[in-house]
Amino acid sequence: MKKFLALFLALVMTLALVACGGNNAAPAETAPAETPAAQSGDSAAAETPAAPEASKLKVGVVLVGDENEGYTFAHIDGIRKAAAAVGLADSDIVWFYNIPESEECYDKCIECVEQGCTLVITNSYGHQSYCQQAADENPEVQFIAMTGDTAMKSGLANFHNAFNMTFESRYVSGIVAGMKLKEMMDAGLVTDPHIGYVGAFPYAEVVSGYTGFFLGIKSIVPEAHMDVQYTNSWFNIQDEGKAAEALMALGCCIIGQHADSTGAPKAVQTAKDNGQAVYSVGYNIDMLAAAPTAALTSSTNDWSVFYTETFQTLLDGGTLPTDWAKGYEAGAVGITPLGPEVAEGTAEAVKVAEDAIKAGTLHVFDTKTFTVGGAEVTSALTFDSDGDWTNDTNEGIVDGYYHESEYISAPSFSLRIDGITELN
Amino acid sequence: MAKAAHTTREPVILMSKRGELLPPWKSWGIRVIGFLLSLVVSGIVIMMVSGLNPAAVFATMLDGAVGTTKRSWVTVRDAMTLLCIAVGLAPAFKMRFWNIGAEGQILVGAIASAACMIYLKNLPTLLLIPVMICASLIAGGIWGFFPGLFKARWNTNETLFTLMMNYIAIQLTSFFVALWENPFGSNSVGVINSQNKQGWLPNLLQEGYNKDFGWNVIIVLTVTLIMYLYMNHSKHGYEISVIGDSENTARYAGIRVNRAYVRTIVFSGAICGLAGFVAVSGASHTISTSTAGGRGFTAIIVAWLAQFNSVVMIVFSFLLVFLQKGAQAIASTYNLSQEVSEMITGIILFFLLGSEFFVNYTVHFRGKKVAK
Amino acid sequence: MASCAIKMENVTKRFGKVVANDHINLELREGEILSLLGENGSGKTTLMNQLSGIYYPDEGQIYVHDKPVTISSPKDAFDNGIGMIHQHFKLVDVFTATENIVLGLDGEGKFDLKAAGEKIRTICEKYGFDIRPEQKIYDMSVSQKQTVEIVKVLFRGADILILDEPTAVLTPQETDKLFDIMRAMKKDGKSLIIITHKLHEVLDVSDRVAVLRKGEYIGDVMTKDANQQSLTDMMVGHSVTLNIDRPMPKDPKPRLELKNLTVYDELGVKRLDDVSFTVMGGEILGVAGVAGSGQKELLESIAGLYPVRSGEIVFHNPQSGKSENLVGKDPLDIKRAGVGMAFVPEDRLGMGLVGSMGMTGNMLLRSYRKGTGLFVDRKQPEKLANSIWKDLEVVTPSTAFPVRRMSGGNVQKVLVGREIAQEPAVLMSAYAVRGLDINTSYTIYNLLTAEKMKGVAVIYVGEDLDVLLELCDRLVVLCGGQVSGVVDARTITKEEVGLLMTQHRKEGA
Repeated sequence: MKKFLALFLALVMTLALVACGGNNAAPAETAPAETPAAQSGDSAAAETPAAPEASKLKVGVVLVGDENEGYTFAHIDGIRKAAAAVGLADSDIVWFYNIPESEECYDKCIECVEQGCTLVITNSYGHQSYCQQAADENPEVQFIAMTGDTAMKSGLANFHNAFNMTFESRYVSGIVAGMKLKEMMDAGLVTDPHIGYVGAFPYAEVVSGYTGFFLGIKSIVPEAHMDVQYTNSWFNIQDEGKAAEALMALGCCIIGQHADSTGAPKAVQTAKDNGQAVYSVGYNIDMLAAAPTAALTSSTNDWSVFYTETFQTLLDGGTLPTDWAKGYEAGAVGITPLGPEVAEGTAEAVKVAEDAIKAGTLHVFDTKTFTVGGAEVTSALTFDSDGDWTNDTNEGIVDGYYHESEYISAPSFSLRIDGITELN
Repeated sequence: MAKAAHTTREPVILMSKRGELLPPWKSWGIRVIGFLLSLVVSGIVIMMVSGLNPAAVFATMLDGAVGTTKRSWVTVRDAMTLLCIAVGLAPAFKMRFWNIGAEGQILVGAIASAACMIYLKNLPTLLLIPVMICASLIAGGIWGFFPGLFKARWNTNETLFTLMMNYIAIQLTSFFVALWENPFGSNSVGVINSQNKQGWLPNLLQEGYNKDFGWNVIIVLTVTLIMYLYMNHSKHGYEISVIGDSENTARYAGIRVNRAYVRTIVFSGAICGLAGFVAVSGASHTISTSTAGGRGFTAIIVAWLAQFNSVVMIVFSFLLVFLQKGAQAIASTYNLSQEVSEMITGIILFFLLGSEFFVNYTVHFRGKKVAK
Repeated sequence: MASCAIKMENVTKRFGKVVANDHINLELREGEILSLLGENGSGKTTLMNQLSGIYYPDEGQIYVHDKPVTISSPKDAFDNGIGMIHQHFKLVDVFTATENIVLGLDGEGKFDLKAAGEKIRTICEKYGFDIRPEQKIYDMSVSQKQTVEIVKVLFRGADILILDEPTAVLTPQETDKLFDIMRAMKKDGKSLIIITHKLHEVLDVSDRVAVLRKGEYIGDVMTKDANQQSLTDMMVGHSVTLNIDRPMPKDPKPRLELKNLTVYDELGVKRLDDVSFTVMGGEILGVAGVAGSGQKELLESIAGLYPVRSGEIVFHNPQSGKSENLVGKDPLDIKRAGVGMAFVPEDRLGMGLVGSMGMTGNMLLRSYRKGTGLFVDRKQPEKLANSIWKDLEVVTPSTAFPVRRMSGGNVQKVLVGREIAQEPAVLMSAYAVRGLDINTSYTIYNLLTAEKMKGVAVIYVGEDLDVLLELCDRLVVLCGGQVSGVVDARTITKEEVGLLMTQHRKEGA
C-alpha cells in the first residue's frame, strides 16, 4: 500500500507538473485554445486619437510563451529589433512570459499599467478579451491585442488590433510549390497534381492562408487540387507529422502547412528519403534544418515592421490605427530562402509575383481565379462578429477581388473554393 | 518497520519508525526546518545554474507574489480557487477514491456558471449568484456521480474513469465555447457580460470590479470550514475515514460502502464544481478549456501535503500559488526560463514531502547515541 | 567448547525508545537444531532479522563459523551461508518453483533454468521434498510454498537456516513432515534455528532451547532436560498454570440456529456445504478445522458479510423471545434488528479495526451512529477507550495512538475489549489468540469465559487443539466446508478431533 501511495503521488506530481507546464510554455494537447491564436489582417480604417507622451514610451509585453516557442519568439525578436530601431532602452520594456489565455492576462495588463507602461501589447488571440477589458478600464494607456479582431467593434479609442498580410507570402510560397509541381509533372514523376495541407483549425485565418497558397499553385498549375487536414492544435509535432503522412498516403506530392511545428516537414523528409517524390512548404521558420532536401520554402512574418512603426508613431505623438495590417509592400511578410531542389526559374517567378503584389497589380483573391460551387463569386462576408451572416463592415468583394485584411486586420476570407477539400 | 540504509559495509545511518506520536510542535518544527532547508538548497541550485544571487531571486519571488496590493490579491484569488478544489478532493482521497477528475468537475461547474451568466443575466445579482452556485454544485456533483456509481455497481477503476470524464468535460467545454463564442468565429467566449458585470462576484472592500477578491475568500473559507467539520466531526466524515483505511472494516461496522462511495464522490465533485464557479464568476469571467488549467492536479498535491486536513490546506494552497507567482516573476525579471522556477518548486515540494519521513521515522547515526 | 555456526555477542537493537534486543549473547552450535522461544514481542524475529540482513544491529558483533562478519544486507547473509525462511512467503504466484528460486540470483546460472531445475530436483530428492521444479506457485499448498522457500535458501548454498514460526500455517501432519525434513537437514550437517511459540514442538524437534524475554536473553537449556512447565517458567518469568478455567455452561438455550447453510465464493467455489448446528447461550462453542475449511466464511455469513446461497441462520432473541432469520441482512440490518452481535475477526486490522485511528476512533466504530444529529459524539468512546486501556492493560502512549502501530497483543485487546463492551448476545471470535503471548492469551480466554457466564453465546474458532479442548464446552469440527462432527469438548480426545478434521463426510451419506 505504501509503495502504491508513493507511486501514486509521483504520478500525480508528474501530472500536475505537466499541467503547470502546459499552462505556460509548451502547448498542452488538452487546451487547444491556448496557443498563439488566430491572426488577423489589416486595414487602414478608423484612425483614433491617442495622446501618449511624446518624450517617453514604456512598453508592457504580455506573451503567451517564451523564447523557446517559435511564434512568441518571432514577436520577441520583432519587439527587440523595433526597440533598437527607435532607441528604446531595455528598462523601457516590461516582459511577461508564459501568460495563459486567462484572467492572468488581465492581471498582467494591469500590472503593466501600474508599472507605468503607456503601451501594452498582448500577443495571443486568446488574450484579446482580457486586453480589451484592461483597455476599457485604463483609457489613458494604449493596448494592442495582436491578431485580434474586436478593436473596431469595441468603440474604444485606446484598443487596437494588428496582423500581417500573411496570405500574400502564402500566395508566393504557393508559386514556389506550383513551379515544383509543374516540373514533376513535366518529368512524369507526378500525374495527379494533388496537394496536401496541414491546417491547425478551420478558422478564417487558416482558410485565408491555404486559399492563398492554393491560388499561388493554381496560377502555375491550373488543374491542381488540394486536401486539407486539420490537427486542431497550433503546435503538435506528432499530430502534424501524422496528418502529413495521411495526406501523402492519399497521393499528395506537396504538403503545405499552417501549424507551428516541424512535424510535417520532418514527415515529408522521411518519405522523400524513402524514395517518394514529395516536398514541403513550411510556415514561420526556415524548414531546411528539419527537411534539408524536402523543404522548398516557408512563408514568414517579420513583426519588427509593425512594432517599429507603432513605437515610432507613439514617440512622435501620433495616434495608432485601430487596425493595422501590412504585407509585402512594407516588408512585413516574405518567404525564406529557397530549398536546394526548387524548380528551375522559381526565383524569377517569385520575384515577378512579389513585385506585382507590391505594385498592387496582383490581388491574391482575384475572383477570376477561383469559383465556389462552379460559379464566380460576387459577394462575400468580411467580418461577422455576431454570426448573423451579415457584414459588420463593407462588402468583401469589390473591383473583382476580395479585400482581405483591409477593413479589419484579422484575416476574414472564409469561402471554401472549388478544388479544395477539407478532410475533417 | 525499520530499514538499514543502502550502505554496503558499515551502515552509517540507520532509520527506524518512531514508537510514539510526535507532539504537533515537533512535527511542524520538522516541516518548517524542511522548508528552510529547501530554500537553502534551491538557493545553491540557483547560484549554480544562473550565477544569480539567491537572496535577490527569493526577493523577486516574494515581490512577484505579494509585491503590490494587486499582486497580493491575485495570489489570494488563485490560492482560494486552488484551495476550493483541494478541499473538494479531500473526502474522495481520504476514502481512497482516486478522484483524478477534478479538472472535469471544475469545467462542468464552470460551464454551469457561465450558462447562468449568459442565459439568466436578467436576474438580479442577489438571485443570480446563488443560482450559479447551485448550478455549479449540481453540475460538479453529476460529474462525480457517474464514476461513483460505476465504482459502486461494477467496481470500475475510478482513476481511469474520472480521468476519462475529464476528456469528456473538455470536449463539452469546447462545444459550449463554440456555442457561445464571442466574437463569432473567434473560438473563445470572451469576457462574459463585460458591460454590466452580471454574475460577477462583486468586490467586498471597495468599489469597482477585480479590485479585491473578498467574496472569493469568504465563499472558499466557508466551504473549507464546513469541510473541516464534515470530515472530522460528522458521522459521514467518520465513515469516510473508516472506508479509506479498510473497506472490509467498514462493511464489518455496517457501513454501506457503495452508498458512501456515491455520496462522497458526488459531494467531492460538487465542491470541485463550485471551484469552477469561483474561477468563472470570481476570477476569469469567461470559460475556456483551460479554465481548470491543471489546477485539478495541483490540488491533489495540496490535499496530500495537508494530509486531507482542510484547514492545513490553506497553508499549502498559498504556498503553491506563491511559488507559481514567484516563479513567473523570476522568469520575467531575470529572463530565466520557466523551468528554473519549476526546479525550485520541485525542490521545495521534495523537501516538504521528505519532512514527512522524518515526522514518522527517526534517524540514528552510527557510533553516536540516537539522535532522538 | 564446540565450534559455533553463529555467535552473537552483545547484540543490541533499538526502535525508537523501545529496546527490542538488549545485549543478547546467542550461540548456534554446528549441526544442531536450536529453538528460539519467547513470548510475542520478546525480540525473536528482530534478532533473527539481524542475521538475515534485514536489520543492522546498533551494537554488538556477529560471528559466523567463528569469524567476525558484518551483515548489512540479505546478500551479505547469503554470502555467509545464512538463509531465513520468513513467516510470510515471498514468492511470485505466477512463476514456477524454479523461476522463484533463481529470481534474485545474480551472475550466471540465473537464466539457465534447465540446470537450475536439475539442481532443485537433486535437493528435493535428497531431503524428500514433494515439489516439482516446474510447478507454479499458485498450484501449491501452503506447505509446498514453504518448501519452495526452504529449497530457495538451500539452493543458494545456505548451511545455516532460520525458520520463523514455520508451523503457524501448517496442519499437524504437515508439521510432522517439516520436522522430519529439519532432522534430515541436521543430519546433513546444517545448523538450524526455529522460532516458535508452541512448546510441544520445541520439545519435539529441537536439541537445545534458547529463551528470550522482553528483549533480554534469559538462558538456554538442553531440550532433553526441559519440559513444558520449565520452559513456560523461563519464558514468562513466573509460573503460569496451563489449565484454563472452564465452568459448566449456565442455563444453555439455543441462541443461534444454522440450518443447511451453503455459501459460494466469488469464483463459484462452494465454501460451506449444508452446514447445520446450534449455538447455545451461555456456552463456548469451539470450531475446529484445518485452516481454510470454511471457518472464515462461517463467521462472516453469520455477521452478514458473506453472501449466503441457501439455508437459514435463525437468531433467538433472549430479551424479546422472538426469532429472526439473519440471512439476507447486512451488518447494519442485523444491528437494527436488535441482534447483539460481536465479532472478533481473524484479520484484526483489516476488518475489525481501523489501523490509522487510535483507540477512541476504534471504539466509535460500533457506536458512532448513536444520536440523531449529524455529528459524532466522542465522549463516550473516549471513556470506553480509557477503561479498556486501564482494565486490559493495553500498552499504548495514548488513546489517540494509531492501533496499527501497537503490538499484536495490544491490538487484540482493543478489539476484544470493544466487542465485549457492546454487551452482545452472540460473540464470535476467529483465531483470537493467534500471535499473542501466553499472558494475553489467558486474558482473552478469561474474557471469553466471563462472557459465557453472562449468558452470551460464544463461538470460538481456534487452531490450537489443546486450547479448544480446554476452553470450549462443545466443538464443531469443519472439514472442507462441511460439518464432520459436533462433539463434547470435555470428553473427546485430541486424536479423535484430529481424525474428524481430516475426515470428509461421505457425499449423500
